[in-house]
Amino acid sequence: MILRFHREVYAGTAIDAALGRFAALASTRFDRSEDGDYFVVEVTAKTEARSRRVALELGNFALGLTIEQGGPDR
Amino acid sequence: MTTAPDAETDTPIETGGYAAFHRFRPIGGPIDGPIGGRVVVTSIEGEWIVLEAAEYSAYAQGRVDPSSALHQRLVDRNLVRAHFDARRAALGYRRRKRFIHSGPNLHIVVVTLRCNETCVYCHASRADLDAVHTDMTIETAERTVDMILRTTSPHVTIEFQGGEPLVNFPVVQHIVAYATERNRGLGKQLEFTMVSNLSLMDETKLQWLLAHRVQLCTSIDGPKALHDKQRKLPTLSAYDAALPWIARINEAYREAGLDPTLYHVEALLTTTRETLERWREVVDTYVALGCRALFLRPVDPFGFAEKTRRIVEYPREDYLAYYRNALDYIIELNLQGVEILERYAAIFLTKILTGDDPNFLDIRSPGGAGIGQLAYNYDGTIYSSDEGRMLGAAGDPTFVIGDVHTGRYRDIVAHPTIRAMAIASNLEGQPDCVDCPYVPYCGTQPEHNHKTLGTMMGRMRESSMCAVHKGIQDILFEKLATADAPTLEILRRWTTIRAREHFLQDTPAP
Amino acid sequence: MSESLLGMPPGRVEADIGEAAVTLTVPGAVYPLPAVYAAAYCFIARCYVLVDRDGEDLRVVLTAKDPAGIHGGAQGLRALVGEFANELLASAWRREITRQNRGLIESVTMQAFGAAMGPPSLDDLEAFDFSDEPFDDPLGIAQSWEDKYRKPKPAGSEPGPEGGEEQGGA
Repeated sequence: MILRFHREVYAGTAIDAALGRFAALASTRFDRSEDGDYFVVEVTAKTEARSRRVALELGNFALGLTIEQGGPDR
Repeated sequence: MTTAPDAETDTPIETGGYAAFHRFRPIGGPIDGPIGGRVVVTSIEGEWIVLEAAEYSAYAQGRVDPSSALHQRLVDRNLVRAHFDARRAALGYRRRKRFIHSGPNLHIVVVTLRCNETCVYCHASRADLDAVHTDMTIETAERTVDMILRTTSPHVTIEFQGGEPLVNFPVVQHIVAYATERNRGLGKQLEFTMVSNLSLMDETKLQWLLAHRVQLCTSIDGPKALHDKQRKLPTLSAYDAALPWIARINEAYREAGLDPTLYHVEALLTTTRETLERWREVVDTYVALGCRALFLRPVDPFGFAEKTRRIVEYPREDYLAYYRNALDYIIELNLQGVEILERYAAIFLTKILTGDDPNFLDIRSPGGAGIGQLAYNYDGTIYSSDEGRMLGAAGDPTFVIGDVHTGRYRDIVAHPTIRAMAIASNLEGQPDCVDCPYVPYCGTQPEHNHKTLGTMMGRMRESSMCAVHKGIQDILFEKLATADAPTLEILRRWTTIRAREHFLQDTPAP
Repeated sequence: MSESLLGMPPGRVEADIGEAAVTLTVPGAVYPLPAVYAAAYCFIARCYVLVDRDGEDLRVVLTAKDPAGIHGGAQGLRALVGEFANELLASAWRREITRQNRGLIESVTMQAFGAAMGPPSLDDLEAFDFSDEPFDDPLGIAQSWEDKYRKPKPAGSEPGPEGGEEQGGA
């Protein structure tokens, strides 16, 4: 599953921190890239359903960290 | 120049800024209704007036005749801009907030979770009588007292709760002795209270509690059938188990020469769905028991389980109808010479009529969590309040703020959670409250908001607690506006706070 | 499949009942990003929340973590949207109120905590970190007058004995 995080909403540092926390998940790959105004993360797990679940959890984590640090990176 | 549309022609008229800052709220139903539609107006410092709708219209439009009696009434209450006394307003505001000048005074100590009763609305933190691991140890009790006496408050009330605190009576005794001894070097005004179902009381325990001046409080849910249906003892009637001890304790106070109008067992009520239609019986029960106060508390959301909630809960409009009926009946009894007050009314009326604050921790702004009260669980875990502890027992640790074994007092009271709760319960920053005339008198509870609305801040328009507070104050202001002189005198009398000095521990000043 | 919900403004709220998800378009002119953050944060326990920019607006996607917990399909999603909208409004309004009443709120809160905490004890002071580690000093309170207000040196100049510009010498 591909997640697109807008730079004006999500902090890149928060996304990186979230990826750091999720990196240890077995059999799951995270590919990070950038596309214009977006940070892009592709999540690939054993099944599509698991990819989706992990991606959405990652999205929550990144949003939470962004909010806790006060917003996007300046 | 300030303008407002003319009520009849809708053309702008110059108001000249007649009205000082105020908040307002229509009460009493429609203008052509039985009470004729009135408007409560309050100032920033809590001065108040109830106006007829036409009077309010004139006030808001700046059309009040300066030579009129209405104008003088408004000036007297600091509601006219040209005569606004800022110093008076500041002093009034400061007086209402004076509780913020000292730290936590109420300390709830849960000496055990074990309880011999099972109550339908009870929180999930009770345990069966064989769960001795839920008894507070002596060491934890001493660390708890050490933490309590670090409070900056010159007045300390240690309230024993449970479970049923009589189950762990030795620790109760130890806390009383240890705290009294430790306080000798500190000189705080120290009091002890106990909330007990009284079913495990015996004469030996009672004599000890009386000798050590521990105030006793119990729960009575109404007439026997209702009480026993909601509060179950395995083989006995909970009502029959409590009643003799209420009578015995009251008798003991009389024997000690204490004024029975001031010294008697206080009882608390929890209003469930079953209670709503039985308001008359509830009041009659309390009068028959010799109680001088009745606290018509609604059921709280920290109860056992979802399935139980569906049995005991009810819409708050139903609660307010019950409250109005009960209050009217209580007033009727007072007019016949029976002395009994309703506690909610007394709290709000004290704020409204005296300009003072009785420091009831759940009805103040900011609320009392952490800075006015703390709760200590049997294992030494410290919570923002007893409600926070109940949520903890149900698996939600949001309101854990430390423990007595490793915590530092200043870190406890300044915990980030407590800071957030102080902000969340400051009504000056709360949507809806900022426009509500009851802001000077009201309060919210972050734990309640968290449980029912998902955030500590809450959303007041959806809050059942707000509905109760607002509804009760609507009723009280209706009475203040329309009641006859004898009724007003009764309401005024309910604001009289008489200190019960007998319960202050004898502690010489350091 | 995307569809409208009863009573919800079409074009602003779209639902995917099968996925137990709703998409709200939040007008940026009305709701600042911090208000959206505040409302979104309240929902991350029970929903997956994704927030995106859509020009001046923000698009919020709420996906129920437990679809079975959304009672009644469309009705349940409608309630979810309604609750989010209420929280969003409360957050936006609270932000404005706080801005207007900041002084009053801060003074009461500081007084309450100052009184509750009381002065530090010797044990508290002993535990306090007085190390020389640098700390944030946005107002320059810890700076000396000279450090704060002395004139900047011209580029390439060497500091003289007094730390100022080099004086011409014989």
